[in-house]
Amino acid sequence: MKQIIQPACIQLQATATSQQGVFQAIADIAVANGIAQSAEAIVAGLKAREKESTTGFQEGFAIPHTQVDEVNQPAIIIVRTEMGIEWESFDGKPAFFFLSLLIPKSEAGTTHLQALSALSRALINEETRQSMLTATTPIELANIVSQAISGEDD
Amino acid sequence: MTKKKIVAATGCPTGIAHTFMAAEALQKAAEKLNVEIKVETHGQVGIENALTSEEIKAADGVIIAADKDVQADRFHGKPVVDVPVSKGIKDPEALIEQILQGKAAIYYASDYEGTDEGEIAQDGAPEGSSRKWVHTIYKHLMNGVSHMLPFVVGGGVLIAISFLFGIYSADPKHEQYNEFAALLKEVGGLGFSLMVPILAAFIAESIAKRPGMVVGFIGGLLASQGGAGFLGGILAGFIAGYIIILLQKLLKGLPRSLDGLKSIFLYPVLGIFLIGIIMKPIIIPVTGLNEGLMDFLASVQSTNPLLLGLIVGAMCGFDMGGPFNKAAYVTGTLLLAEGNLYFMAGVSAACIAPPLIIAFATVLFPKYFTKEERNAGAVNFILGSTHITEGAIPFAAKNPIVVLPIIMLGSSIAAMLTYLFKVQVPAPHGGFLVLPVVTGAFQWVIAILIGSMVGALLYGMYRKKAAQK
Repeated sequence: MKQIIQPACIQLQATATSQQGVFQAIADIAVANGIAQSAEAIVAGLKAREKESTTGFQEGFAIPHTQVDEVNQPAIIIVRTEMGIEWESFDGKPAFFFLSLLIPKSEAGTTHLQALSALSRALINEETRQSMLTATTPIELANIVSQAISGEDD
Repeated sequence: MTKKKIVAATGCPTGIAHTFMAAEALQKAAEKLNVEIKVETHGQVGIENALTSEEIKAADGVIIAADKDVQADRFHGKPVVDVPVSKGIKDPEALIEQILQGKAAIYYASDYEGTDEGEIAQDGAPEGSSRKWVHTIYKHLMNGVSHMLPFVVGGGVLIAISFLFGIYSADPKHEQYNEFAALLKEVGGLGFSLMVPILAAFIAESIAKRPGMVVGFIGGLLASQGGAGFLGGILAGFIAGYIIILLQKLLKGLPRSLDGLKSIFLYPVLGIFLIGIIMKPIIIPVTGLNEGLMDFLASVQSTNPLLLGLIVGAMCGFDMGGPFNKAAYVTGTLLLAEGNLYFMAGVSAACIAPPLIIAFATVLFPKYFTKEERNAGAVNFILGSTHITEGAIPFAAKNPIVVLPIIMLGSSIAAMLTYLFKVQVPAPHGGFLVLPVVTGAFQWVIAILIGSMVGALLYGMYRKKAAQK
């Protein structure tokens, strides 16, 4: 099984300017990397989750996520947009750093889910956020994320 | 000085991200404020880092940061700050401060929504296990009742409207037949017929989530179709819920990879099978009892009208639309067919009184009812006036042990007075809509009002007492 986070699933200079655009970018990456079968299903799933309550966090971070049948394997997809997008975040600031969590519906194995929740926990950490923001290449960012997941608590 | 201890529970619908962000944020904030904290997470994986009852007992306060049920009853009697999960991520320090400064309200699992605001009870002492048990039962019942209520109101009002077209307007063979009224009665009746299954389904859902709901629904259908009424439904709901709990225990040994199979196949198949096996034998004696009662009732009328009033009232009020009520009602209609117009008058009075008891109580004691209940209470004026006894069920189901005797008393008074006044009612249904054809209509209304008012005063006083407790 592939790594839950891989450089190919990170897009640092995305051109999306709307929520729909961000979702589309995430879905396209997922399909291109064999993570999901259908881009439409991913977009719809992310949208549905967003409708329940915002996934916007703070300082430009948001964690759109969904659990749908069409996901083949759990994965983290990161999209960083050039422009900030209104996301109803806690601090009211537009979001530009999207850490998207995609989970297959059938996922019962707990290791992947724990990895994803570890990432969510890591986001609370100011330093982790800073290092993610300063990463300049997908490889660098992938390393930071996988470190955060493996539970390196500082 | 010892560190303050706080326990917390976090949860969100997907259980992937926010649950854990909130947990982390709370832990960080607690560290900063030098507070000891343990955070239980209700995530996709299930409950992790679960709180034990000792830990809850030892805690100075509880923080719930969740958009889903985190079994809050456990925190009964503790100072609790209950907020959406996002608040836990955003303002963890403020939440902890609320507890430290003693600003958190004491949580009462049993309290009605409307009455617990501003009236923080004084006794924060840990309760005995028996009281906790009662609270759990109560919470399950309430879940059933609150889901049932819209069915009762929606169905009941449509049926009542259909009566406005005439008591027999839904009968194609009768001259009053009206197509629209028949439609109203049909859809209203459908809503009504789902009342008991929904009650049972959501009692079970409260106990054992979705697998319980499925089994409870079937149990409720069995109860309602078998004629076991709402008491049968309550029973079915609890049995169904605990069937699933039992199955969960029994199937615990199965590998995790079968989790999906459990919820889609094993729980529904085994659960529905078991509820059928258990409910069937329970329903049969109830039906037998029913028939015995009918014979008995017919024989008492001639010998002792006051005793009859007491019995009829108690029967009509006891299960409101269930087998006892129906036994009285069917006896009434049978006697009606034989030209006995007296018996039915008492039955009708006793069937009309329960919703009126509720309605008057919500008007006379508005402070002790939630807004939702007051609205439902107003609807009960309509339901009562049209002989739809079931309107009172959601209120009675909340605490049948206290409310049913009150309603039975009110119904009995209405029935006894009706027999004393020798009122004659020739129609089997319709409530006050049939007044024009009632002999002694004025006395009949007076009898019903007296019975209803007595019941309403008692019920209102009970609610007042319950709220002050």
